[in-house]
Amino acid sequence: MTASLTGSMASWVPLMPLLLVAIGGFALLVVDALSDEHAELATLSSVVLFCAGALAAVLATGKGLVPPPSGVAPYLAVGQMSQFWNATICCGAGLSALLAGGYLHEHALERGEFYALIVFSAFGAMVLAAATDLLSIFIGLETMSLGVYSMVAYRRGSPRAAEGGLKYFLLGSFAAAVLLFGSALIYGATGHTDLAGIGQSVRDGHANLRLLILGMLMLLSGLTFKVSAVPFHMWTPDAYEGAVTPATTFMSVVVKTAAFAVLLRVILTCFSDELSASLRTGWPGMLAPMAAATMILGNFAAARQANVKRMLAYSSIAHAGYILVGVVTLYSGDEQVRQTAVSGVMFYLLAYTVSNVLAFGSLIALGSYAKEAVSYEDLAGAGRRHPLAALPFVLGVLSLMGFPPTAGFLGKWYVFSAAIASGNDLLWLVIVGVLSSVVGAYYYLRVIVYLFMKSPEPGAAIAVPMRSGYVVLALVLSGYFVLKMGVTPAPYIDLALSAASKLG
Amino acid sequence: MTAGGEALFAFCALVAVLSALGTVIVHSPIRAAMSLLAHIIALSGLFLLLHAQLLAALQMLVYAGAVVVLFVFVIMMIGPSVPEPPVLRGMVTKTAAIAIMVVLTAILAFSLMPVHMPDIALGPCLPGEGAECDQFGGVGAFSQSLFLDGLVPFELISVLLTVAIVGAIAVARGRSREEVAASQHKRDAQAKAAAEQGAREQAMAAEVSAHGGHG
Repeated sequence: MTASLTGSMASWVPLMPLLLVAIGGFALLVVDALSDEHAELATLSSVVLFCAGALAAVLATGKGLVPPPSGVAPYLAVGQMSQFWNATICCGAGLSALLAGGYLHEHALERGEFYALIVFSAFGAMVLAAATDLLSIFIGLETMSLGVYSMVAYRRGSPRAAEGGLKYFLLGSFAAAVLLFGSALIYGATGHTDLAGIGQSVRDGHANLRLLILGMLMLLSGLTFKVSAVPFHMWTPDAYEGAVTPATTFMSVVVKTAAFAVLLRVILTCFSDELSASLRTGWPGMLAPMAAATMILGNFAAARQANVKRMLAYSSIAHAGYILVGVVTLYSGDEQVRQTAVSGVMFYLLAYTVSNVLAFGSLIALGSYAKEAVSYEDLAGAGRRHPLAALPFVLGVLSLMGFPPTAGFLGKWYVFSAAIASGNDLLWLVIVGVLSSVVGAYYYLRVIVYLFMKSPEPGAAIAVPMRSGYVVLALVLSGYFVLKMGVTPAPYIDLALSAASKLG
Repeated sequence: MTAGGEALFAFCALVAVLSALGTVIVHSPIRAAMSLLAHIIALSGLFLLLHAQLLAALQMLVYAGAVVVLFVFVIMMIGPSVPEPPVLRGMVTKTAAIAIMVVLTAILAFSLMPVHMPDIALGPCLPGEGAECDQFGGVGAFSQSLFLDGLVPFELISVLLTVAIVGAIAVARGRSREEVAASQHKRDAQAKAAAEQGAREQAMAAEVSAHGGHG
């Protein structure tokens, strides 16, 4: 079989978002090398990412979506679902690039590499989300992760950045090795590296069961590490705290989206037969307790933090738990329930992307070079002194909390209602989720309390909000989508549903 | 499979496992690098037994020839006699780690037990098997799968290598002296302005709280 990469011009259209981002990344490197000023790199990278995202959003509706060249199909899926993920990833990465444009300039950290890393990591994330072969999963994962490791360790001379970066790098490499070992075992058990072939072999019962189960567990462990699910969450607070805030934003939204995308694809294509999707014997038996532990630990640990960035890190762990509830719902044999669950997870990740950018972006906006806003104390009274800078923060935490009519509320609603629709087996998980999000309300509201009802300690250094058009633009864009998705969710959930009905 | 092949497999596998252990256990970095070298050579022996001649040659050239040599250069540059690292972990942690290792190994062994191994070392091609068997693992067959069947992952890896280089530069490169000097000036002015602004804010906050906190 000789695959080919030649085809009509039209057959390249579905690959355009991916190619645009890759070419944009290389263009950034060239522009950075030839120009002196760095200010326009933020504009260039965010324009590239938003263009790719907009194109992917159009393709996600199914318009102009033709089969790609035959050589691509075994490794990457470029159907509606992949395009939806592309759009989400590009949106998160583009907003992070905007935040970086403001933050790096303000804190005298401006260097062109950072934008190239954002764009290339986003490319890796898109490959990962579209991967249909164990080989492309691994390549996508590494492309994404290598960029993120370096973004975490980017701030030179900061011991916290070095600590976070090294921890993330070592644990991440270990997780990648586990994933690779799992892939090897799955290949040994089924004789296939492509997900469709593995799924066929599993359904036919040809696979060696012991090898397959161990391989599946290792593969899923490697992937759940990336979404920072308990017990693979240890690196998250340190890496999130040590990284420069735009990198933290990128990690929390883009990496999570891509990892959940590939988790969904692997489960739906390979392990959706009755045996491996059974609550007692299959992967749900591993993922359901994991989801519960992630929600509980994430929320309780977040409530104990004094540092807002660390609080948001634990809150992102908690959100991984809520999304895992949606993933576990795929155990259901009912096609309707599965599609609702998949579209719920897709909507949740899009909502989470814009809400989290809003929260981290406001944290960036409330500090400046002299003093960065990191702890609750730094936020004290900022809302009364600078209502405009604090307003997006309020919207962001309300959405993360799941307060109607924001996007976050509907995300939780769709995921939990799919879990309930699947039957009584997951009721306990939904109850755990709802109860633990009540704990979540405590620490999210605490931000608002500090912003508006506290006063700074007399004599303490005060964080003065920074001024940057980039950050304002990012906040306006994400704030718009948080409200838009919360008030008129129909176009988004319809898009997710139609993408979920055609796995590709 | 021939008896000679089996013996060679056993030898290479034993060397590979022992040298892998050696790489992580020994304290001296230079000995660890040498263990790694032994491991790589043993691995390429295993590749040879599977008729992957080109892969075996590349393994020797790239890893034994280039990568390990680079490691040794770096160790020589830093100095081979790194002082013993202090023992940070207590007996409890060590015991727990060993216990987890044993359990994991047991699980792995249990899962691998039913696998029968006819193919650990392939015999020579039989007369009837034709050209495909002869060419397997050679340059032609290897290029076929690398540049035709696997062209997409091959291209994707080019981005992976780029991001690795850019990332390494981003982490290792500080700012150049000119950049630091240029920004320092700007920073000083900004910091001064920010300090004044901070003082104003402080006064404002004090005023707000003095008036009952409803500013």
